[in-house]
Order: sequence, then C-alpha cells, then structure tokens
Amino acid sequence: MNVIINIARTTIGEAIRRRVLLVILLIGVLFVAIAPGLSVLSARQELTVLKSLTLGIIQLTSAVIAIVLTVYLIPNEIERRTIYTILSKPVRRWQFLIGKYLGAIGALGLMMTLMTVTLVVVFWVMKPQETTVTVLRELTLGPLMFYVQMCLLAAVSVFFSTFTQPIINFFLSGGTYLVGSLFSSVLKTISENKDLPLAFKAVAIFIQNALPNFEYFNIQNPLINPGQQIQNEGLHYLNLAFYAVAYITALLVGGILIFDKREV
Amino acid sequence: MSLAIETKKLTKSYKTKGGGRLDVVKELDLQVEAGEIYGFLGPNGAGKTTTIKMLLGIIEATDGEALVLGKEAGDIEVHRELSYLPEKPYYYEHMTGLEIMEFYSSLFGKRDTEKCKALLERVNLANDMNRTINQYSKGMQQRVGLAQSLLNDPKLLFLDEPTGGLDPIAHIEVRDLILEFREEGKTVFISSHELSDVERICDRVAIINKGEIVQQGKLDVLLAGSRVELTADSVPAGIADGFKAMEDTTVSFKQGRLIMDMPDSSETNGILDAIRTAGGTIISFVPRRARLEDLFLESVSADNKVKGRKMGRMTIKDLEAEEAPLEEVKE
Repeated sequence: MNVIINIARTTIGEAIRRRVLLVILLIGVLFVAIAPGLSVLSARQELTVLKSLTLGIIQLTSAVIAIVLTVYLIPNEIERRTIYTILSKPVRRWQFLIGKYLGAIGALGLMMTLMTVTLVVVFWVMKPQETTVTVLRELTLGPLMFYVQMCLLAAVSVFFSTFTQPIINFFLSGGTYLVGSLFSSVLKTISENKDLPLAFKAVAIFIQNALPNFEYFNIQNPLINPGQQIQNEGLHYLNLAFYAVAYITALLVGGILIFDKREV
Repeated sequence: MSLAIETKKLTKSYKTKGGGRLDVVKELDLQVEAGEIYGFLGPNGAGKTTTIKMLLGIIEATDGEALVLGKEAGDIEVHRELSYLPEKPYYYEHMTGLEIMEFYSSLFGKRDTEKCKALLERVNLANDMNRTINQYSKGMQQRVGLAQSLLNDPKLLFLDEPTGGLDPIAHIEVRDLILEFREEGKTVFISSHELSDVERICDRVAIINKGEIVQQGKLDVLLAGSRVELTADSVPAGIADGFKAMEDTTVSFKQGRLIMDMPDSSETNGILDAIRTAGGTIISFVPRRARLEDLFLESVSADNKVKGRKMGRMTIKDLEAEEAPLEEVKE
C-alpha cells in the first residue's frame, strides 16, 4: 500500500505542475469567476442560469483536464524510462498502474476543489442574498458528483492508455464520454422505440450497457429546478457510488491484465 | 564462484511486417560470476538493452531461461537485491535530489531519509540535495541515478551506459564509483559503448552483435598478446629482407635496430634463432596486448561486412530496421 501511495503522491506532484493542465484550469476558474457578469436575466432566472452555467463550466473543464491528464499518464513514464527504474524495484505492475490512477484522480480532485471553492466564493460575493445553505449545498454537491464522474472517465482513459497511443486514447476516451453522457438519452429512446428494427435497437442497447453512463452523475436538473426532486436521495447517491466503483474496478482490472502482458 | 546471472538460450523474437521473425536476442548463453564487473558490449541495436530488460523481468523472453541471483528473472523478491540505472535516466523535475531518493527509497516499503542523505553524500551531492533536479547537470543527474541504485545495498547492479555523455571529470567519478562497488563485493553488469572504460574496469566481457554473442571471456585472455613485438640490433640486411616476406608481419628499422611486429606463432622461436645465428642481438621481445576497440571492431565488423555495411556508419534506417520490432512472438 505504501508503494501505491508514494507513486500516487509523486503523480499528483507532477500533474499539478503540468503547464497545459494549469492553463485549462485557469480558463475554467476564470469562466466561473466572470460568469455572474455575463447574466442579463431576471433575478430568479439569473440564479438558475448562473448555477447551470457555472456547473457546466466545471464539468467541461474537469472532463478536458481528466482526459489530458490521463492519456499521457503511462506513455510518458515509458518514453522517459522512469517506468524501468520503478519496475526494477520491488514494485508490481498493478501497483504502478493503481498508483498512477490514484495520483491522477488526486490531482483532479485538487483542481476541481479549486474550481468549486471559486464557485462558492463568487456566489458568496456576487449573490450574498441568494447564497443560502441550500444553494451552498447544491454548489458543492454538483461538483462532487462531477468528480465521481471524472474518476470514472479517468479510469476509462487509463484503461485505453494501457494499449493505445495518447492521441488515439484522447479520441477514444473523449468519444466514450460524449456517447456516455450526451447521447445516453438518445440511445435510451432508440432502445425503447417499438417502431425501429430489432437489430438497430440491439446495437443501441449494447452501446448503452457496454459504455459507462456518465449522465447518471449529472444532477444539474434536480439542483437547478426547484420542482425536480430526487426520491430517496441517500439511496440514490449510494447506488451511483456503487455503479462508479464497480465500473472503475472493472476498467482497472482490465487495464492491469493488459498492462501486465504489455512490452514496455 | 557462484553465478549472479545465468542465461541459457535466452531468445527474444518479434514478428516482422512481412510475417517473418526477427530475433533481437538469439540463444544467449551468459554466465556472470558474483563479485565481478561484467561488460556487455555491442553496436546500437545489438540487443543489449533488450537483454537487460529480460533479466529484469520487464519484458518476457520468447524462449530460453534466465536466472538472476539464483532465481527466475522477474521474480519480485530478486528486485530487492538488484538495481538498475537506465541509459539517460529521467527524474521527476519538480523534485529535489533528496526527494527523488526518498521516493525510490519508499518503493522498498520504507522511506529512509538518513540513508538517502548518506548516499547523496557518497556521490558528492551533499550540498545540492535540496536543489530541484532541473537545476542539476547531466553528471549530477547520473550521480543521483547511481545513488538511487544503491538504496537497497544491491548484490547486483545493471548499469546501462553509465558514463555516456558525461564530461571527463564526471566520467572519472562515475568510473571510480563502479570500481568501489566491486570492492564492496557487488556484481556489476555494464552495458556500454565506452570501450576505454570497459577495458579499464571490467573483469570479463561479452560482445553481442545482432542478438548473438560473438566474443565472451576474461578481458585479460581476450586481449592477451596474439602478437609480439621484437626489437633486435645488428641484424644483417639479408636476414631482415627474408622476414619481410612473412605473412602478417611488418618489418621496419629505427636507429639501425630491427623492429618486427608479428603473430605469436610456432615460427617465432625460429626467427629468434635465425637472428642470433646471424650475429644479431635480441633487445626485447614483448607480447603485444590487443586493444578492446580492435577486438570489438573485429568481432562486430566481420558479420556486418557480409551485408556490405561499414562499422560505425550505420544509418538511421539500418537502426530502425533492427530496432522496430512489430509484434512479439509468443511460444
């Protein structure tokens, strides 16, 4: 365990110094900070739009950071030969891979925390009247669920990184995220449409089940719209956590099996 | 003497694009004795690094056996007793020399800061241990590499081009450190292009070319005089002219003395007798030790010339053709 923690710690140290990630993070923080100034709607609409906009910025920024961070996670170690020095010590490949993954989600956590803190501060300063305990809860719960979503995305990318080049991985992971989030409702509609051919529906059902559904973790609607409520919230979040952990575990086990046999 | 490394018909093959098979390392038989410095030489693409990777268990052999410190190569427990310094190592640039050492120390299960500091002092980095790696010179980075390779007090060290690209002072420092390792009873396996270093510090060498061992043995034996240099005085010109006709022999005169460079063969005694009988005086008769460079070139160029390639003039395409395996062969 000590080995994994130390690899993770080193990975965090390196990740938070990568200029490309810091630039993306800076853009994200900047947009969150200036978002209130962009709103020209009525007070009530403004709060709703502002929450939606800022949470959307955090989600998009985090997704880009998660992919850029993880696609180079393993290839960089091989290219720089650091992996050889590490694997010549009593370190097993699975420990290395898990350590790198934990380091990546650790760095991602720090970056997302910075964006969330910026979000809360911006609301506190710009909308002191509207920033109630309920709103604060929403402003932290949204990014927290996005973080779980990004941990899943990072696992997808780490899985692909065990057998693909970074550029291919970028499109594979990005594609998986797009299909698993934006098109999940489309796939659901297709699979439930009785008028469509069976083969067509079968493909939709297969994609829907094979790819992780990132949309499950997007709780923007219930957070933004007061009319929408999540029934039995505790159980709902527990289910989501279980879903994420199960998927992440499966992806990492798959990645380890491939990485174990891979020539480095 | 026990063996630190033993390989039997160790082979690594890849499938080529055309469906053929490229043996990067072919039926390698190595025996490295404990406590010696073993030089592993060969031109680029000869299979040196691939062999080291197989011995470390980083890549799997296609065929054959490899025992490292008596256990199968790749056994994780063996990794507690060996260390590896790769060619042109990279260290996380945001970390200081001491942090790098602490990181590698932690991979053995326990972060031993005092030991890290002591090893950095040993490699003359005591005053620089708190500077980040990106402020280190190449020589300093190499010394950090050597220091990290001593963290587990290894019985066996694999050093891949340990003196490559270093300035003369750093070069000597690293070479001296390697000699210290031997004095401490460690086995050192060096892959290097620096033939002068290898000649100075190695006990035994193996020369590998196109994945096959072409020379292996004690350096003293391999370089032992297969030629002799004879200096004689007052040798009649007629006798000397007769020697000129001998095969593979150079005859010259310097300040009236005959100097002959010739193979150490069964005819040598006859030549000495002929000089003495003719009234000449033997001034000196010295076996000539070959240079490792000559042995290396002789060993690797014979094969390369077959394919019309000049040694030392391999093109990038030649290397890529050798170094770009496409698909591993599983057997």
